[in-house]
Amino acid sequence: MTDREPTEAPFSSNAIRLTGRQWLATGAIVLAVCLLVSPVWRLVEPFEPGADYRIPYALNSDYWHFARYCRDAAGDDRILVVGDSVIWGEYVRPQDTLSHHLNRLAGDERFANLGVNGTHPAALDGLVRYYARAAAGRRVLIHFNPLWMSSPRRDLQAQKESQFNHPELVPQFMPRIPCYKAPFAERMGIAVERHLPFRAWINHMNVAYFDDMDLANWAIENPYANPLSRITCETPAPTEDARHENTPWNERGIKATEFDWVAPVDSLQWRLFCDTLATLVARGCHVFVLVGPFNEHMLTPEGREAYEAIKSDIAARLSENTSLYEVLPPLPSELYGDASHPLPDGYAQMASHLYAQDSFSRFAAGES
Amino acid sequence: MLFHTWPFLLFILIVYPVYLATRGTRLQCPWLLTASYVFYGWWNPLYLLLILYSTAVDYAAVLIMAQWGRRRLGLVLSIVNNLGLLGFFKYGGFAAENLNALLGWMGIPLAIPAPDVLLPVGISFFVFQSMSYTIDFYRGNVEKEPSFIRYATFVSLFPQLVAGPIERARELLPQLRGKPEVTWEDVTDGLSLFVLGWFKKVALADYLAVYVDEVYGVPDLYGAPALLLATFAFAWQIYFDFSGYTDMARGVARMMGIRLMLNFNNPYLAAGLGEFWQRWHISLSTWFRDYVYIPLGGNRRGTARMYANMVITMVVSGLWHGAEWNFVIWGALHAGGRILTRELERTAFYRERVPRCVRQALVFLFVCFCWVFFRADTFHDAVVVLKRMATGGFADPAFPLLMLGLIVSIWAYQFVYESRLRAWVERGPVTVALAAAMLLYIVLFCGSSNEAFIYFQF
Repeated sequence: MTDREPTEAPFSSNAIRLTGRQWLATGAIVLAVCLLVSPVWRLVEPFEPGADYRIPYALNSDYWHFARYCRDAAGDDRILVVGDSVIWGEYVRPQDTLSHHLNRLAGDERFANLGVNGTHPAALDGLVRYYARAAAGRRVLIHFNPLWMSSPRRDLQAQKESQFNHPELVPQFMPRIPCYKAPFAERMGIAVERHLPFRAWINHMNVAYFDDMDLANWAIENPYANPLSRITCETPAPTEDARHENTPWNERGIKATEFDWVAPVDSLQWRLFCDTLATLVARGCHVFVLVGPFNEHMLTPEGREAYEAIKSDIAARLSENTSLYEVLPPLPSELYGDASHPLPDGYAQMASHLYAQDSFSRFAAGES
Repeated sequence: MLFHTWPFLLFILIVYPVYLATRGTRLQCPWLLTASYVFYGWWNPLYLLLILYSTAVDYAAVLIMAQWGRRRLGLVLSIVNNLGLLGFFKYGGFAAENLNALLGWMGIPLAIPAPDVLLPVGISFFVFQSMSYTIDFYRGNVEKEPSFIRYATFVSLFPQLVAGPIERARELLPQLRGKPEVTWEDVTDGLSLFVLGWFKKVALADYLAVYVDEVYGVPDLYGAPALLLATFAFAWQIYFDFSGYTDMARGVARMMGIRLMLNFNNPYLAAGLGEFWQRWHISLSTWFRDYVYIPLGGNRRGTARMYANMVITMVVSGLWHGAEWNFVIWGALHAGGRILTRELERTAFYRERVPRCVRQALVFLFVCFCWVFFRADTFHDAVVVLKRMATGGFADPAFPLLMLGLIVSIWAYQFVYESRLRAWVERGPVTVALAAAMLLYIVLFCGSSNEAFIYFQF
C-alpha cells in the first residue's frame, strides 16, 4: 500500500497573487478610499438647505443625507426637530410644517425639520443612534406619535412576519422584534454596515442618482446609459407640494375606528422611544418630547377611554424621567388629514400651543 | 453558511485562531471537525445526521476490508450505501416520476409515491469524496486511516465540504495527519485566492444572474439576440460562480496550510472538448476518469469501446449534476462533442491549419450550446430557447454595457495571462492595482450578497 505525500497543487489560473507588502498597500488604498469618499463627496455635492428645508421624499431612505442635514443644522445651533411624517408634514407644503410655524413664532430660523417619513420609534432609534451623532450637545425636539402603539402590528409585535418601514434602522438582534424575520446573515450585514460611513454614502448615491438601485441593477434597467452622466452632483429638490390633498379625514371617507392599543408597559415602540431619549441624553442633548396630537375624533367612545389611559401613562412615564414634554391636546376634527397627521392650520395651532407653554418657550430660547 | 457573508467572517474569526493554536496537537482534528459540522449544520442541523452516517458507514467498510479481509464486501457496502443515499435524496423523485409516466403509458393504474425530501446541500460532493477513499483503499492506493475523527474531518473539511474540490484521501488525509505548515506566504496567497473568488461571485456571477434569470425565466418573450447573450452570460455566470467558490475554498484552506487541488484552469480558452474537461471542474472530471471511465475499460479496448465509455461517463456525469433529463442531454451532448473533436483533432488539417483561436471559439460556442440544456428549467424551455435563437427575430436585447465590459475585461485578462504578456500582469503594481480595483468594486458597488452558489443544488 502507498500513501504518497501530497503533491503541490498549482496556485491558480491567474496572476492575482500578492505578497504581504502588496496586501498592505492594497489595504491602504481601499481604506483610504473608503474613509475619504464620504467627506470628499460633501465638498463636491453642494447642499444649502433653507429655513423650511425638509428631506425630499425621494431621499427618505438616504440616511447619509439625513446625517449631513443633521450635521449642517447642528453646526448652525438650530433646534433639531425629529420624528416621523407628522414632523415631516405629510399633508402640507414645506412652508406649513410644524418647524415652519415654530420658526415663524420664534422670529428666526432656529428650528430645522429633520422629520423622515415612516420612522416609527424603532426606526427613529436607529436613525438617531447611527446617523444623528452630530446632534450631541444640541437641543432636540423629538416627536412621539401614539399611532405606533395603536395595535400589536404597528407596535411590531405581531408574530407573523410583516413588512414595515426602514428595517435597516431597527435593532437587528436585541430587543427582538417578533414580526421581523430577516435571515441572520442579512441582519448581521445591516448591523455591521451601519457602522461603516461609506456604506451610507453608497446608499446615498444609489438613492439620489440611480433610482434607488445599485449600479449593477440600474445598468440592467438602463443597459445603454452612461452611469457617470447620472451623477449630476445635485440631489433631488425638496417637494414643494403636499403629498396629499388638504382634505379633512372625515371628508375622505375615513370612519371612526376601534384601535387595539398596546399599553406603554408592553409596548416595544415605547421602549425603543425611551432608548432613543436615553441615547440623546447620554450625548448631552437638551431634549423636549412632543406627544401627539392623535386624532381622537376617529376613536369610538370605548377607544377614547383606552387612549386617555395610554396618554396619561405616557405623561406619567415622561415626568418620572424628568423629561421636558408636552402631550398635545386634540386639534379640531377638521384639522386632521387622517389618524395622526394635521392639516396646515393644525400645525399652526400646534406651534401656538407649544409656544404658550412656559417650558417650551424656555427650551426654545435655550434656557435650561 | 456562505463564504461571502458576514456570518462566515464571524465564524472564521473564531475558528482560525483556535486552529492555529491547536495545529499539530491532538485537538487539531476535533476542532476542525467541530468547525466543519457547525459550518454544515448552519443550513440545517439535521444534515449532520446524514453526513455522520455516510462517514461512519464508509469508515466501517474500510475496517471490514482491512480487519476481516472481506475486501469485496466492504467495497460493495460502501458503493451501495453511497449510491443509495444519492438515489434516495437526489434521484428518488426523478425515478418515481419517470416510472409513473411509463406505467401510465403502459396503461397500468399504479402510482409510485415520490420521496418528499429536501436535497441536502453538497451531498453529491461529500459522498463522492468519501467513496473515493473506500475505492482507493480497495485498490491499495491508500492506507487505512486509524482515526475516525481524522477521517470524518477529511470527509467534512469545511472549506470544500459543500461544493468541492472533491479531494482524494491520498492527497488530503496526509495533510491532516501532521502539523500543517502555515507560512506568511500561505496567508497572503490564501487571501489572494479568497478575494479573487469573492469578486467572481458577488461582482460577476450574481450580476450576470440578474440578466440570465430574467431571460431564461420567460424565454418566449425574448428575441434571438437576448437569448444568445443570456446563454453567453450564463456560461460566464456558472464559471464565475463555481470557480469563485473554489477559489474561496482553496484560499481558506491555504490560510490553514492545507492545499486543495486546482479545480478550474481558464476553461473557456480550451481548444478542444477534451482539453475543456481538463480545465473545467477538474476534481470531478478526474474522479469520473479514475472511478468510472478507466474501470469501464478507458481507451484500452478499441475506439468503439472507448467512445461508448466516454458516452457512459459523460451521461453519468450529467446525471450527477441533477436528476433531470436536461442534465442527461447535456452530458450526452458533451460526449458527442468530445468524440467529434477527438476525430477532428486526428486530422492534420484541423490540427495544423485551423488557428487555435478558431478552435477556441468553436469549443466555446459548443459549450454554450450545451449550457442551454443545463440552464433551462425544463426540456421544453431549452427547445424554446434554441428555436427562438434561430427564428425569434431581432429585438433589442437590452444587454447592459457594464456587464459586457466586465466579461470582455475578464476574457481579455485570461488571454493575456496565457500569452507572452503574462510577466507584465504579474508585476507588483499591476497586481496591487487589480486587487484594489476588485475590492473597491465589491465594497462600493456590490454590497451584501446572500446569494447561494449554483453548485450547492447538486
